[in-house]
Amino acid sequence: MGMRHVFGASLLSLAVATGGAFAQELQIGNEDWWKEAGAKFDGVTLRGVTESTPPSNFISDVLAPKFEELTGIRVDVETTSWDQMYDKAIKDMEAGTGIYDMIYIEQDIVYAYMARNFLVDLTKALADKPDLKAANYDEANFTTFADNFRGANGELYGVPMEAFIKVYLYRTDLFNDPEVQAAFKEKTGKDLAPATNHADYAEIAQFFTQWGKDKGLDLWGTTAQAHTGHPASWYEFFESVAPTYGVYNWGIDAANNYAASVENGGTMNSPESKEALKWWLSMRDIAPPESVQSTWTEVATTFAAGRAAQGLVYGENAAWIASDESKSKVVGNVGVALPPMQDGILEQVEGGTGYIGYYDGGAFGLPVTSKNQDAALLFLQFMALPEVQEEWAVAAPRITLTSTYDSPKVAELNTELGGYYDMLKDQGYLFKGAPEYPFHAQVREATAPIFYDILTGKIGPDEGLDQMAAKAEEELTSLGYRK
Amino acid sequence: MQSRKLGWLLLAPTLAVLFLFGVVPFFYVIYVAFHQWNPFAANPEMIFNGADNFRQVVFDAGFLASLGVTMAFVFFAVLTELIIGYLLAQAFMKDFPGKAIFRTIHTLPLIMAPIIVGSIWKLMTTPSIGIIPHLLDSWFGYDLNIGQSAGAAFAITVIMDVWHWTPLVTLTLIAALVSLPPDPFEQAQIDGANKRQIFWHITLPMIAPAVVATVFIRLMDALRTVDEVLMLTGGGPGSATRYVGVHIFKEVFPRTNYGYGSAVSVIVLYLTIVVCWLLYVGMLAPRNTKKG
Amino acid sequence: MRRKNPWLSILFWIFISFLTLFPIYWLFVVSVKPAVELFSTPDVILRSVYWQNYIDVLNDRTLREYMLNSLIISTGNALLCTTLGFFACYALSRFDLSGKESIFFWTITNRMAPPAVFLLPLFLLMTQVYRIGDFSLLDTRIGMILVYCTFNLPFAIWTLRPTVDGIPKELDEAAFVDGASPWKVITEVVFPLCRPGLAVTLILTWVFAWNEYLLAATLTNFNARTLTTGLSEYVTTTGTEWGIMAAISVFTLIPALIVFGMVQRHIVTGLTFGAVKG
Repeated sequence: MGMRHVFGASLLSLAVATGGAFAQELQIGNEDWWKEAGAKFDGVTLRGVTESTPPSNFISDVLAPKFEELTGIRVDVETTSWDQMYDKAIKDMEAGTGIYDMIYIEQDIVYAYMARNFLVDLTKALADKPDLKAANYDEANFTTFADNFRGANGELYGVPMEAFIKVYLYRTDLFNDPEVQAAFKEKTGKDLAPATNHADYAEIAQFFTQWGKDKGLDLWGTTAQAHTGHPASWYEFFESVAPTYGVYNWGIDAANNYAASVENGGTMNSPESKEALKWWLSMRDIAPPESVQSTWTEVATTFAAGRAAQGLVYGENAAWIASDESKSKVVGNVGVALPPMQDGILEQVEGGTGYIGYYDGGAFGLPVTSKNQDAALLFLQFMALPEVQEEWAVAAPRITLTSTYDSPKVAELNTELGGYYDMLKDQGYLFKGAPEYPFHAQVREATAPIFYDILTGKIGPDEGLDQMAAKAEEELTSLGYRK
Repeated sequence: MQSRKLGWLLLAPTLAVLFLFGVVPFFYVIYVAFHQWNPFAANPEMIFNGADNFRQVVFDAGFLASLGVTMAFVFFAVLTELIIGYLLAQAFMKDFPGKAIFRTIHTLPLIMAPIIVGSIWKLMTTPSIGIIPHLLDSWFGYDLNIGQSAGAAFAITVIMDVWHWTPLVTLTLIAALVSLPPDPFEQAQIDGANKRQIFWHITLPMIAPAVVATVFIRLMDALRTVDEVLMLTGGGPGSATRYVGVHIFKEVFPRTNYGYGSAVSVIVLYLTIVVCWLLYVGMLAPRNTKKG
Repeated sequence: MRRKNPWLSILFWIFISFLTLFPIYWLFVVSVKPAVELFSTPDVILRSVYWQNYIDVLNDRTLREYMLNSLIISTGNALLCTTLGFFACYALSRFDLSGKESIFFWTITNRMAPPAVFLLPLFLLMTQVYRIGDFSLLDTRIGMILVYCTFNLPFAIWTLRPTVDGIPKELDEAAFVDGASPWKVITEVVFPLCRPGLAVTLILTWVFAWNEYLLAATLTNFNARTLTTGLSEYVTTTGTEWGIMAAISVFTLIPALIVFGMVQRHIVTGLTFGAVKG
């Protein structure tokens, strides 16, 4: 459950005690410096806006009270829904109202904000004001995920607060079941193991869907984030599936006048892209029936309910699926692996030309319209202190500092999560956030209706991708990016 | 006749509030509608582009398709609500044991926020895990799939709307029916009119203003429906339930297409006004003229 | 009708009530199940109950603030709109004002506007134009009460107009002849006769304000957040908390039912002479 529900408690003294204990446990080094630094901002209230996710709730329930206790600066965090959060931050910054001193920036919108100069350059601001620089805060300590929030010269525009990779989850109890293994061997002549390529993945998926049918179980061979009216499906294809076929950055070539169609030098409708889409559609067809209505939420719940043997699941959900018994029926039975990919992709990625999946997450940024920038700088550094980050990683499984991996508590959790943190640490570099486009949502929304029509079968996948590439170019031209 | 000054005085607060919060923002929307404006375009400024947005809207296949399904949605939903709502309102005019309880039950859907209504209907209708497809499958062997079948998704949005809003129609019509004077009915019964004659020649003309008001409200609210449908289908499958409200929402919120979104809104508003005006004139004006 | 057996009526209403209640029953079912249980073959009968969602909701202090804001905003707005609407209808019905039918029709056009594009101008107006010194209407209850008038006041005017028109003019003319002041006529002659219509208007404007989401989501931040904005906090990228959303909704039914109960009896205790026989 979201922590705020526990910490908001006043009726149950037990819950209050738990909340208190958490804030107490948080030991901040160099407390006197924080007290002194905060003294200048007496009576200041910082206001932030974020989405109501467990990591954000940790900010409002644990970090904000602790920060206020130390510095006397109050922090109010408004939590709202995903699309409202964007809209409110954009309205505030566009109109220059100055409501917010901190805004949540999802990795995929940061380039849009940077292009509009909405955000304060944190590197420069701290260099200009050395008296505000906390000793324990170190920009170099961030994981590679922070690179998503850097400008052309490496300057930082957001303090990462959550970071996840979309991984391949599989059910260890099924994969290790001798009866299943024997049946699989008999049917395919192969040993059952997590797939490394698409053909194997499909074979396993077909096997388990058939297995579920034969045994009368509510079990299917794969998940599919294939909602026919929500961008979640668009994302699964372009951010998780297409890259494993070598189609990167949505098939749009930024260096080539933002070309999307093959005709103009893009890859959105390339043969690889079409092959990827057909493969994914064939997986969707043998996924649980609810998949046609599934966003990331439902995919995670489908897997947690034990309805899928394998699937691609966002990392923020992988954690609770693997460890939270109140929400998941497959605790202890979750294995983590790299997504299946075509031959040669890994070499391309190692060579630095591509990526194999989605590295998502978000940061807190400081709008230039804020009227309390100095105080906000203090809080942003506070969020990124190693001692804070360690507790945070335990409370809401996300890691943004390299030093956090060394924590014994995190190591313990890593085992529980089937090695998820190891993968994040050692292979996180294979994954990448959304492409560096300031027009992220615009091109997505322009092309999404065609994509939904492909999903319902109204248009064929080949023809559909052709139309999408043309539509993307049209939208980019009308936005003025494509000349 | 009392002094007109008093009349204007009574009307003044209403006019002031609607002007400040309705008309002034509307002028701004019209202003934006004549500009190319997307804050995340290469040029984020507002650029005057004359009637380009309107031209684009009129030839936009996506918008026209959206308008088509919206009309169908509004037609089926409002008509069903009106018929059921009227029948229930009439049924409530009688006395029977437990009437207060039944009426309270009947109004319960109204107090549920659209976002919740959408969530619940989504959970009830999701293929394989929803109770409705499950029951339809086990009783009739019918496979209801709102994620793939455009017709099924359309029908469910209509049924959801009827479930949610019929009570509104019932309540407004009850208010109209209880206020009717008894004399014409007594006279008609004395004259030996049958039920159907009474309905067409007495009841309907007398409650016509209330019926028109109710139809207007439902019509314009159905045209603006966003939250419920967004929650239930996201406008899908494909664009099957991308009603005008959803279309505008997707253009304005995620796509930040402010100029185009404003133009669509102005056109939708204009069309709504025209439809309502025709209805208004057609149903009420002849009556008013007759009255003199 | 009298000749018919009342049990037929009751059976009919039980059937209708079943249809009405089923989704609400399902709301309750969702509220007492962990999310993972929802993703299995559904069962009409509830076999076990999981109260955690309710415990979470009861413990959430911010939700109680949201509930209070919702109550104040909806009640304030419903009273304001019903009152102003009643005055406006009296003016439209009894006075010979130039262009009054156009004004009447114009009021309803305020409700027709698709709200999404009106959010930006309202936001700009409330933060930059309609302000007194440091006080701006954004994120205040009074601001929301006023903004909600854009859709509720036209509604009130349109539902009340037939009611006020239906009161015979002779009644207030007689009172004026007796020397009553206009205020007295409105409050003591016309008002009591309009009670059913006023009650229905009050209920429905209250409901519209209570359920409004988009405007509240944009125009409130910290101080005037309403329950619907609280509900949307549970629709996130990491998951939709169906159970908590449902539990909150079950709770919100309670104040709404109380308000309904208080107002509903006026629907019939006003005038019952018009009950259609036959």
